[in-house]
Amino acid sequence: MRMWVYVVRRVALLVPVIIGVMTITFLLVTALGPQQQLYSAFGPPPIHGTIHSYNPTIPCSEITPGANGTCANPLWNELAPKLGLNQPIFVQWGFYIYRSFTFQWGLVSNFSETQGPLSAFIHGQSVSTVLAQLLPYTLELAIFSLIIILAVAVPLGNLSAVYRNRPVDQASRVLSFSGFALPAFLLATLLVLAVVLVLGTSTLVHTPWCPGGETSYSEITGSWPTPLGCGAPGGGGPISNFYYPTWLTYGIVSHPTGFPTVDAMIHGNWWLAFDTILRMVLPAIVIAFGSIAILLRFVRNSMLEVMNLDFVRTARAKGVPESTVVKRHAGRNSLNVTITVLGLTFAFFIGGFPIIEDVFQLNGVGYILALSVLPGQEDFALIFGSTLLFTFLVVAANIIVDVLYAYLDPRVRLG
Amino acid sequence: MASAPPPSPVSSGRRPSPRIAQYKRTWFFLRRNTLALVGLGILIFLIAMALYALTLPIPWNQMDGYCGVHLPGCTYVCTTPPSPPGPNCYAVNQNFPSFIPPTLSTAGGTLTAGQLPLGSLSQTPYSQIYYNTLSGILRGADWSLVIAFSIVVSGALIGLMVGAIAGFWGGAVDEALMRLVDIFLSIPVILFVIITVSVFSQFTIPGLSPFSSRMLLLILAFIVVWWPFYARIVRGQVLVVREQKYVEAARASGAKKGRIVARHVIPNSVYPVFIQMSLDVGTVPLLVGALAFLGFNLFGLSSSEVLPEWGSLSAFSVNQFDAVFGACSVGVCVLPWWQILFPGLMLFLFAISVNFFADGLRDALDPRLRR
Repeated sequence: MRMWVYVVRRVALLVPVIIGVMTITFLLVTALGPQQQLYSAFGPPPIHGTIHSYNPTIPCSEITPGANGTCANPLWNELAPKLGLNQPIFVQWGFYIYRSFTFQWGLVSNFSETQGPLSAFIHGQSVSTVLAQLLPYTLELAIFSLIIILAVAVPLGNLSAVYRNRPVDQASRVLSFSGFALPAFLLATLLVLAVVLVLGTSTLVHTPWCPGGETSYSEITGSWPTPLGCGAPGGGGPISNFYYPTWLTYGIVSHPTGFPTVDAMIHGNWWLAFDTILRMVLPAIVIAFGSIAILLRFVRNSMLEVMNLDFVRTARAKGVPESTVVKRHAGRNSLNVTITVLGLTFAFFIGGFPIIEDVFQLNGVGYILALSVLPGQEDFALIFGSTLLFTFLVVAANIIVDVLYAYLDPRVRLG
Repeated sequence: MASAPPPSPVSSGRRPSPRIAQYKRTWFFLRRNTLALVGLGILIFLIAMALYALTLPIPWNQMDGYCGVHLPGCTYVCTTPPSPPGPNCYAVNQNFPSFIPPTLSTAGGTLTAGQLPLGSLSQTPYSQIYYNTLSGILRGADWSLVIAFSIVVSGALIGLMVGAIAGFWGGAVDEALMRLVDIFLSIPVILFVIITVSVFSQFTIPGLSPFSSRMLLLILAFIVVWWPFYARIVRGQVLVVREQKYVEAARASGAKKGRIVARHVIPNSVYPVFIQMSLDVGTVPLLVGALAFLGFNLFGLSSSEVLPEWGSLSAFSVNQFDAVFGACSVGVCVLPWWQILFPGLMLFLFAISVNFFADGLRDALDPRLRR
């Protein structure tokens, strides 16, 4: 019962934070001007198809051919009230917050052909619909890399505390420093290069794990546009592979969860599941690298502190084997530290996604963001939509961390 | 502090103020930490490099350039100025001490792998202009260090003030400021910079060139999203410091709040900020590189130019690498590894040096960690 109260209170505290983030994006959207807001919300206008058709006044000749002077724009008169643009800024803010909370994030309206084969399918669609289809990819990658982080950082952190200043400690130190100092895009490229050098250039053309499965350079990096994996019909073409999620080309017609791996398993297509997981290995390693660097230090330091505490000495004094002391008495504490640090650095973690998904061309929210910020071709509906979505993820992660923390540490929820 | 006693700060005469004595003590412990000294050494070397780059006989925002050197298998045509001097359009800026031997053979219009000297040429992605990697790295020291330090120092100053005010005043002020901090902390740094830059790149600040305007904008965007980290650190520290006896004493002797904050609270809460700053300063060029990698025209330059800044150079090289790699899979081709290695190495050195230094600083400042 107390737990429920605690959770509800934490969630209630985060609502102002979300509204605050929306206020920041509102200020930025307002700086773009009302025409751009209308363009983002309603797509290219019918008159000229350009943003200028949303001006409050236009030359009369555009309404009735041959007329002179400037006239009130009927399009503006019709659409501006829907966003509250003809009202004071506070009202506009209210409209914006309402639309943001109800996922009315506008239409994909400026996503040109040069930004990938996706455009033909998502152009004119609602941003929240598009993002909802891409989110499972990002979440799957995030979960996968979190697993890698936990599997590497916690044991290694504990080890380097136990074997302080020994080779294990030094090695983990080097790993940690490299995680801080190597740009993710560079690391990603180097890893791809390493795979090519180790497995040979034949990996560029063939996927050995698929009988007869032909693929390309981007196959290793898990690309969007090329036909994917085993048994992909060549006739599918890049575009149909693109927006229609990849499992359609594998003969899977329904996608109950939206998560590619899970769906493949539900349908019993194990090759596809294996292929999807394989595709995530390199990007997940790169994403995990930075967080491992941070987490390693905190786990090590906290472990060092705990090892000096009284209860550890007591355990040793009463004859508990050293391995049990490390695992059960001291090691238990690193769980709390891990959760806290992951919660604090989750924004940093999620901020790596646009770059990594861009390098590996994974069709997640980060890639669509990276594609929609290209200079001169900005799609502001998508930019702001995916930013809001990422912020929601951070806030959700904070709630999960709070709940986990309260579950693990009774002092938090009872205090 | 087992073996050697702390050095007497001043040999004779008046005793320095306690804070000066503490700086000396910090330096004493820092001096005994090899890794920290290595970090400091690299950092000083990089700063010296940046200062040397100021004296180079090439324009302040340019690198030594070459045009139209062909790599085997990659048939690029030289179109952008400087115009090619000969059929192989190979031009060397004589003003710059280059690693390129004067007898470089360009027989058949191509360079072979053995003829490419270490650290010689790199290529900008859109223009087929080759730049001298060494000049890019030297010039890059200027830009990277200036951008990184200006962002981190301004962010820390703002965070210091906000954190001190929130921590010391408490109550509603604290609540309001910390909610603001929470808001900024839940937006990923890079996303905030992405949306800010993409929104404001639509405009140019009047009276400034596109370059200065973009540069200012980038730095401001980073500062806006960077100070909350410091504010949170400082607030936590101030909450401890304000309960100390000396603050109580100052209050009892009638000091005003502003004076207490400025003279007693802030100077005693800055150490964690120094540590965090020295960690952050190495991160900024990596983030700038990531932005450049996403294809932002961060500095309002024309498509044939690249700002000599380590992050951008590294990002452009990686992008270029992809293209060259694709072209090379057709025939045999030189992999231009040097253009990835050297800018990346500079980023790595910078980040690692400040990391080592920060670690040493933490050890020196935290008595519990001393051995």
